[in-house]
Amino acid sequence: MLEIKNLTKVYDDGTVALRDLNFNVESGEFLVIIGLSGSGKSTLLRCINRLIEPTQGKIIWEGIDITSAEPAQLRKIRRQIGMIFQHFNLVNRSNVLTNVLSGRLGYVNPLTSIYHGFPEKDRKLAMQALERAGIADQAKKRADELSGGQQQRVGIARALMQQPRMILADEPVASLDPVLAHTILGYLESMNQDEGITVLCSLHYLDLIQRYATRVIGLRDGQIVYRGSREDIRRMTDDEFKEIYGEEAVRVSAGRTEKGVE
Amino acid sequence: MGGISGQAKPVKSLVSGPVAGIASFIIPGLGQILAGQFRRGLLLLGSMGSSIMLLFWRAHLLAHREIGVFDKFVKALNRRPFFTGLLIACSVFLWVWNAWDARRQTRPDRRGGFGIFILIILIFFALGWQISQIDLYKMVVELPDALPPLSKVLWPWKAAVTRETEVVSAGADILIGCDDNPPLLPEEVPGKPYLMADPTCGELSRMDESNQVVKGSTLTLTGRGFAPNTETQIWWADSMGNEFRPRQEREYVTVHTDENGAFKLKLIMPYRLIPPSAEGQQIHRVEARQISAVGNLIIADPLKLTLGRMAETIFMGMMATFFGILFAVPISFLAARNLMAGSWITMSIYYLTRTILNIIRAIEPLIWALIAVVWVGLGPFAGIIALTIHSIASLGKLYSEAIENIDPGPIEAIQATGATWLQTIMYAVVPQMVPPFVSFSIYRWDINVRMSTIIGLVGGGGIGFLLVQYIRLLDYRSAGIAVWFIAITVAMLDYVSSEIRQRFV
Ligand SMILES: Nc1ncnc2c1ncn2[C@@H]1O[C@H](COP(=O)(O)OP(=O)(O)O)[C@@H](O)[C@H]1O
Ligand SMILES: [Mg+2]
Repeated sequence: MLEIKNLTKVYDDGTVALRDLNFNVESGEFLVIIGLSGSGKSTLLRCINRLIEPTQGKIIWEGIDITSAEPAQLRKIRRQIGMIFQHFNLVNRSNVLTNVLSGRLGYVNPLTSIYHGFPEKDRKLAMQALERAGIADQAKKRADELSGGQQQRVGIARALMQQPRMILADEPVASLDPVLAHTILGYLESMNQDEGITVLCSLHYLDLIQRYATRVIGLRDGQIVYRGSREDIRRMTDDEFKEIYGEEAVRVSAGRTEKGVE
Repeated sequence: MGGISGQAKPVKSLVSGPVAGIASFIIPGLGQILAGQFRRGLLLLGSMGSSIMLLFWRAHLLAHREIGVFDKFVKALNRRPFFTGLLIACSVFLWVWNAWDARRQTRPDRRGGFGIFILIILIFFALGWQISQIDLYKMVVELPDALPPLSKVLWPWKAAVTRETEVVSAGADILIGCDDNPPLLPEEVPGKPYLMADPTCGELSRMDESNQVVKGSTLTLTGRGFAPNTETQIWWADSMGNEFRPRQEREYVTVHTDENGAFKLKLIMPYRLIPPSAEGQQIHRVEARQISAVGNLIIADPLKLTLGRMAETIFMGMMATFFGILFAVPISFLAARNLMAGSWITMSIYYLTRTILNIIRAIEPLIWALIAVVWVGLGPFAGIIALTIHSIASLGKLYSEAIENIDPGPIEAIQATGATWLQTIMYAVVPQMVPPFVSFSIYRWDINVRMSTIIGLVGGGGIGFLLVQYIRLLDYRSAGIAVWFIAITVAMLDYVSSEIRQRFV
């Protein structure tokens, strides 16, 4: 479904964030990317939908090279790929419904949507997405009036609105407490299993990785240092985990310690 | 200064104590510098040098006719013994102290001390008192003079309404400079008011070189046939027919008729500049007028004018804000660092824009108004230009800072959905810009209306224009009406702007 070939990213200041990465993502996977803060996870995820321009290499989506896509084509690809962020990235002053509806922007008429005109069926879709995320009663509230967990559900509803084939999730639970982490990842898991949406997600904590991942890629200094199957991860010990992460990592429940959290 | 911070590493003195003292006696501060107290020495040199220069300047002003320095000081001492004497004594004392201080500074254990600087500050204070012409005595003694105008300003409403009037008047011709045949008195018509001047010629008041009024001839005015027991105004018309009301002791000359409708009064001929081109006999005219109110109450001119000017003022502020916003929005994008960080070309545009905005903002709107008056002439348009220029600069800066502070997160989130550039702006940038934009624009509107109330002082139109005219004419009641309306408008504006801000932010 997605092929990453020789992907390299060098920032303007000379930082080499990604070095010659090669891997494939199969349809229906829950692929988790692990790595210390600064290892290049965010950069990798953002290169895939070109929020960050890759320096070198190819990213092939369904046979089309994203890195050389024209703007219109790129927008068509982007709308098939939902994205979820660590800090939710909602528009705080807009209400929840508008935030969710904005997930539909890649599909609607660019001109009528400017004054917030969305077709009736999109509004229905938005309410369904909110119901699915369990926050339909909050639709009229301003986004910044919600709690962190609720905001991330809005983020998920927004991604759902794209009717995506893949979701990129950049540390979606790193700023939430452990109970909420399982709720949010539970939504991702059900989307992955029930609708066959491919998930590409960066995570920090071994117990979460073991619970949700079907495959793992470990990054260090922009290079892949570990590839593991579901079984490999289940068997993984703290020492092996430490090897990927370096000495800083500890086996912890998500959120209980600040160590390793970005 | 080196003296206060004792923990600084000890500096060795270059010279012995007496040498430092002598050096400082020749040039103040030099000894301290030689003793290694460089900053203390410079501070002493600078402050003593400038205080002594100021002292010479004040002495010169007090005795500008004298030639020698010594003569000047003697004259100055005679004219202002306390001030001049105190300063000279302090300066001499300071000079000696500075030499002694230099000697002391050579000893590492006796460094520092800031008593000498306290004395210097005292000297500057005395100079400042004199230079800025502070006069507490006058302030107290002449306080009563301020009360009548103040009470008129505080309660001006007598001048707000008036009645339609009917004027009863009579006049007499006055020849400027007496010759053999002064003007004849007018003929008295029975049943009509009659005014008689004695003599019918004389000299006008005039100004001497030092702008002191030299009083002119005194005329005795006798009136008959006026309405009894009524206030009667005296008016003067020059040979060009320009009329004005002469004043004596700051008040307009008025007289009350007795029960027979007659009066008698002495009038010093007023000051009036006669143009040098005027030729021949100068015939002026003095008139007595009774203005009696008839009919209904009507709104008086000051109130009418004030209302009109107030509307002008509010619209000036509004237009200036509108134009300011119009230009500031695009400029603010050029002045936003995060948008312009792309290349060195955009970065230099950014720095250029920032610099220009800062320079424009540093110049007060009143000064822009002076320039605009030269440009488009007196009136509200000049005021609008001045306020617009200043608004562009300050809004441009505020908006650009708002742009710099927007959260990039929502932008990437919206881009990731496949939105177009315009959609991204509308959904991710604009919602974040609305609160600071509204609040800065309202804040500016508030400032602009306040500023436009005073921009008229320099000819930029609006209520200030009227206010300054009333004040110059010593018409405190009318000025008071203007002041009241300014206060009312500003208060209303405060309320409205805080309401709007609460709605939007
Ligand atoms: N905009 C940027 N400019 C320069 N360097 C960056 C930028 N963003 C990230 N980096 C650097 O790239 C490396 C990878 O960062 P990132 O992808 O954010 O890692 P992670 O998400 O794994 O913490 C880090 O060394 C980081 O400092
Ligand atoms: Mg990151």
